[in-house]
Amino acid sequence: MGTLCNNHRRYSIIVITILGLLAMVSDDLVAQDVANGQATATVLAALSVTAVKDLVFGNVLQGLPRTVANDAVDAGIFSVWGAGGAGISFYLVLPEYVSLTGDSDRMTISFNATDANIDTTGLSAADPTAFLAANGYANENPHNLSTTNFEAPAATIYIYLGGRVTPTVDQTAGAYTGDILLTVAYDGT
Amino acid sequence: MRYLFCIIIIFGSILVAPANSWAQNITVINNLTLGNMLPGVPKVISKRSAGAAAEFHISGIAGDEMSIDFSLPTYMNSGTSNMQMVFTTTDCAMDSSSSPDQSEPGNDDLNPWHSITYRLGANGLTIWLGGMTIPKINQRPGNYSAVIVLTVTPTGL
Repeated sequence: MGTLCNNHRRYSIIVITILGLLAMVSDDLVAQDVANGQATATVLAALSVTAVKDLVFGNVLQGLPRTVANDAVDAGIFSVWGAGGAGISFYLVLPEYVSLTGDSDRMTISFNATDANIDTTGLSAADPTAFLAANGYANENPHNLSTTNFEAPAATIYIYLGGRVTPTVDQTAGAYTGDILLTVAYDGT
Repeated sequence: MRYLFCIIIIFGSILVAPANSWAQNITVINNLTLGNMLPGVPKVISKRSAGAAAEFHISGIAGDEMSIDFSLPTYMNSGTSNMQMVFTTTDCAMDSSSSPDQSEPGNDDLNPWHSITYRLGANGLTIWLGGMTIPKINQRPGNYSAVIVLTVTPTGL
């Protein structure tokens, strides 16, 4: 009889202790709450710039300047592709001269304030001779090009560039080249 | 034996009672939504931007003091690509008034990187969080996401 009572008492103490522990533990568990929110963003297309065609002056004669118009077949062509509707800005770095390989002689190249056309209509193929003023920005200053927006959805913008070379009367014969650098960036609009 | 049953019942009551006295619940009202982004152009979402800032609501017993902790991401991910996220020391705001005002919250410019202690109001507590992402110039296009973890713990005060 005494053993039975002792067993009951022992079980009771164990049960009470477990309940007490559960009480403490469950208090902590219920007290804290955690929620997971999200941060979301969609990154649109990266800009892509291509020099489609060089500005070509062809054969020039000593002492005779030669001009290529911005709507001539020999005009330089850049294409820019990016996210539709996004605003972009352009910056052209234009050379002051073209030179022979090895820089043994130089020839002046110049760009006036109306030497660029910007076609924003998203044509599938570039054609400077087909450019109309209504197609974008006509006779732009290549030293200070207008900012513009891509057509939506993603589309291509073409820049057509003319220029002028002025050979001296004793210009060394040969093939002259110079780099024209176009930088394009989203402006955040 | 009866005495022991009484003790067990009392403990059972204790088991339930403290849990109820600190009951609180977090609801995610809005995710932090940065929308469309352009490569190379950082974007900031203000904590005051309704519908774009992250918004959490904590419900519970008015007057209970809560310790609020964010676990903030430093990058958003899209597959194997990531994009930097920045949370400044003033990107969080809270309001425990009966009509929370995101444009003029009761407690403004809080640091989400530190524990914040605040009491629940009659209408609980609303928390707003802004943030910034910085895409690289050659950031890969796609949908990016990150998890913002909010942990709320009663201080017992």
